[in-house]
Amino acid sequence: MDENEFKMSSSSSQDFTGADAFEEDWYQNSPYSDFYTIDWLKDLARDRMRHRYILKRRQNSLWELIKGAHDALSGWLCVLLVGLVTGCVAGVIDIGASWMTDLKFGICPQAFWLNREQCCWSSNETTFDAGNCSQWVTWSEILVSAKEGFGAYIVMYFFYIFWALFFSTLAALLVKNFAPYACGSGIPEIKTILSGFIIRGYLGKWTLIIKSVGIILSVSAGLSLGKEGPMVHIASCIGNILSYLFPKYGRNEAKKREILSAAAAAGVSVAFGAPIGGVLFSLEEVSYYFPLKTLWRSFFCALIAAFILRSINPFGNEHSVLFFVEYSKPWIFVELLPFIFLGVMGGCIGTLFIKANIYWCKFRKCSKLGQYPVAEVLIVTLITAVIAFPNPYTRMNTSELIYLLFSQCGISSGDPICDYKRNFTNVNQAIEIAAAGPGVYKAIWLLILAMIVKLIMTIFTFGIKVPCGLFIPSLCLGAIMGRIVGICMEQLAYNYSKNWIFSGECTQGDDCIQPGLYAMVGAAAVLGGVTRMTVSLVVIMFELTGGVRYIVPLMAAAMASKWVGDALGRQGIYDAHIALNGYPFLDSKDEFQHTTLAGDVMQPKRNEGLAVITQDSMTIDDIEVLLKDTEHNGYPVVVSRENQYLVGFVLRRDLNLALANAKRNFDGISGQSLVIFTNSSSVQNLGPAPLKLKKILDMAPITVTDQTPMETVVDMFRKLGLRQTLVTHNGRLLGVITKKDVLRHVKQMDNEDPTTILFN
Amino acid sequence: MFRYLLIVNLLVCMANAQSYEDKRCKCICPSINSVMNNSQEDNDNDRILVIANAAQTRCDCDSVILPKYADKIKGKEQEFCPRCECKYENRNTTVIKVVVIIVIWIISLLSIYMLFLNLLEPLLNKRSKQNYQEHLDEDDGASIHQEGGSSHNLPMVNVNVSRNNVLNRVTNQQDKWKRQVQEQRQRIYDRHSMLN
Repeated sequence: MDENEFKMSSSSSQDFTGADAFEEDWYQNSPYSDFYTIDWLKDLARDRMRHRYILKRRQNSLWELIKGAHDALSGWLCVLLVGLVTGCVAGVIDIGASWMTDLKFGICPQAFWLNREQCCWSSNETTFDAGNCSQWVTWSEILVSAKEGFGAYIVMYFFYIFWALFFSTLAALLVKNFAPYACGSGIPEIKTILSGFIIRGYLGKWTLIIKSVGIILSVSAGLSLGKEGPMVHIASCIGNILSYLFPKYGRNEAKKREILSAAAAAGVSVAFGAPIGGVLFSLEEVSYYFPLKTLWRSFFCALIAAFILRSINPFGNEHSVLFFVEYSKPWIFVELLPFIFLGVMGGCIGTLFIKANIYWCKFRKCSKLGQYPVAEVLIVTLITAVIAFPNPYTRMNTSELIYLLFSQCGISSGDPICDYKRNFTNVNQAIEIAAAGPGVYKAIWLLILAMIVKLIMTIFTFGIKVPCGLFIPSLCLGAIMGRIVGICMEQLAYNYSKNWIFSGECTQGDDCIQPGLYAMVGAAAVLGGVTRMTVSLVVIMFELTGGVRYIVPLMAAAMASKWVGDALGRQGIYDAHIALNGYPFLDSKDEFQHTTLAGDVMQPKRNEGLAVITQDSMTIDDIEVLLKDTEHNGYPVVVSRENQYLVGFVLRRDLNLALANAKRNFDGISGQSLVIFTNSSSVQNLGPAPLKLKKILDMAPITVTDQTPMETVVDMFRKLGLRQTLVTHNGRLLGVITKKDVLRHVKQMDNEDPTTILFN
Repeated sequence: MFRYLLIVNLLVCMANAQSYEDKRCKCICPSINSVMNNSQEDNDNDRILVIANAAQTRCDCDSVILPKYADKIKGKEQEFCPRCECKYENRNTTVIKVVVIIVIWIISLLSIYMLFLNLLEPLLNKRSKQNYQEHLDEDDGASIHQEGGSSHNLPMVNVNVSRNNVLNRVTNQQDKWKRQVQEQRQRIYDRHSMLN
């Protein structure tokens, strides 16, 4: 009867044992279906087994040796490729977006592919004409041949709105028609995917293309959003697509997540030109399982991506972000107080934003508004454009505004925000502290207006169905707040320079308070309040400024903002969106604090039957009926119905495959054949030949007893990445706890609706 | 299409003739009045902006500003120059050009394909449905899960079988993709179970 033993089709090699012989068949179509969680333990074990197999084969021939070397190298090779491609794509997005943004205002007729700054690159005009030069032609010049005046203003206003509507409509339509998954920031979903969830197509080719094109369009539309969050999604798509070149990663979902972690780091690395910040972001915010090996790979990947983007030099400033500023001035100790104040304000604004945005998203989800995604995008764009144009600070690109707010007032800045009554007679000194001119006060009012507009518009924008990120708007809000506080401090120091607070450092005429630094700290505070990041945030900001000495102010602000934010509302924006969508994300930051036991949570409850398979007494028909009647992902195998002693666990998918395969390939197998999960061939059977399925049986399932506290069980699910665990009592099988049960239980205990979890 | 490409190329060549250097040294200085002790109110437009084609090491006030304004400043160089800000910048116009043209191409291709899918294809489908009656029962792609159902029903009378196969495979892939997008759309826009 041994000839009927279930043999796997292609690889009948003796080295491959157990479920591993499945590889070939399993891999052809992925082992997990859409919206399932992966079994980390099993996947990692499978990878180790594959690795041992390759090691063993290595002695056989040179070819096997090369294969082994390639396998060992493939991780690094894959992240190298991911870094290269991410850098290039980021360069394309940066250049495309900056060109298209300026298309709202005018065009460079001699070289249409240049944006305004690049167009005026080598103009020899020696005057400042509101940042314009003769090469750059605004739409009003083309239509009414006037740069100033009422008619020109109207034309410019019209074109601004027209282009904004055009770009955003195109983005929304592309998203709707080609890749609906490309909308939003993507970070909550990436977080969920990295925690071991499968969303098919979320990291696919079309998502990559549409997200890249869509983010160019939506940033250019002047909406209150940024391209930094989507960059993480784009990088993850690249990681996912490239991992298919390396079977070690492409075919093993747990291993693939290592590449995705590295890709997420590369995404932030190119978004901010901050490679170390990217690695820490991946570690702190998105990744779930992050061993040291992944840390090094992420580091390498982020480095390569940053290097590539830097050599593309998209902004012509030798850096990979538009708002890179260089600071070197010291700060004085007293300034810590305003910095902490900024942190507190950042926490408040962040929480306010999260609450309002979640409320609006809930409203969109439950009301009729959600049925008109394109119309919503149109309306939001229209309102944004109409409000944004009259105020120069909202009219300009948000990145440029951030740059303006971050930078110090030097001789090169002609903006009203730098309108100080400087005393130029004393020329040998550096730029000294000075009284603010009327331009500064006007700028402050405009900035306050801009901040209110941005805050409100961002609340409505984050969540519309175009690619949209959150970093830039939050940085912008914080930068405005910080700059205003900074100017106030500066004027205080100017007016009370004899006061003991300032007297030590602010000696006569020295520019001791820099509003730009306050803008930076404020930006960090609001971003920290919204996302609840700390370490990665500080490192990103510090890499943006290239000044180590501002780490303490940034840390103080980030910490204050996190404390205040956590006190006001528990979740950061990404966690809040995960909860809103009901993604099955078991947060490793939360603690489970209830005293329930495993026996209370397990399925089935006390008096319901448990769907089990007996080890040697069920026929193929029985099992097929069981498969049809129940929808579990796996079935425990027990000794017999009477003695429910646990033997092992078999997955539904394996069973299906094995049964189908057996029916196809072996004669003498009929519905009446027994299915045997044991070794012994002692079963005396007169009927058709039995089918031996021991190889697909997992003989070492994770079990807990029914008295295990749920704290431990939740911890096991988090730390081991389990998919299910079996509950026993005195060695007898009582039931099963799946990840879904755990998530439901956690929700129930937190008094939330447990039915909202998105899960198959 | 080819003609259009040619025109674009021509434009590109013409524009190349213009002087767009990839390196510059940009210096900004306050107005000269500020050091000449003139009591005039200095205003923004009096500031000096010089863009020169200097090497990175020679991008400073001494070698960029002074030769031009030496006669006006006269003796005040030591006071004037520290106030100037000189920045050396470089860029690559070719990369910018290529990238922007690629972006335009991608966006126009996607838009055309989108228009095709939304406007032309329903028309074509209607016509082919009239031709092949057997297609009528499966016009709703979303509900059908046995992929390639339509391909088996296609009359295989065509002599050029291999070509037909390739075509079928492409059509199958496209149908599969369309179904996936349809599913995503339902999940996001109709059921709101994701990405809210």
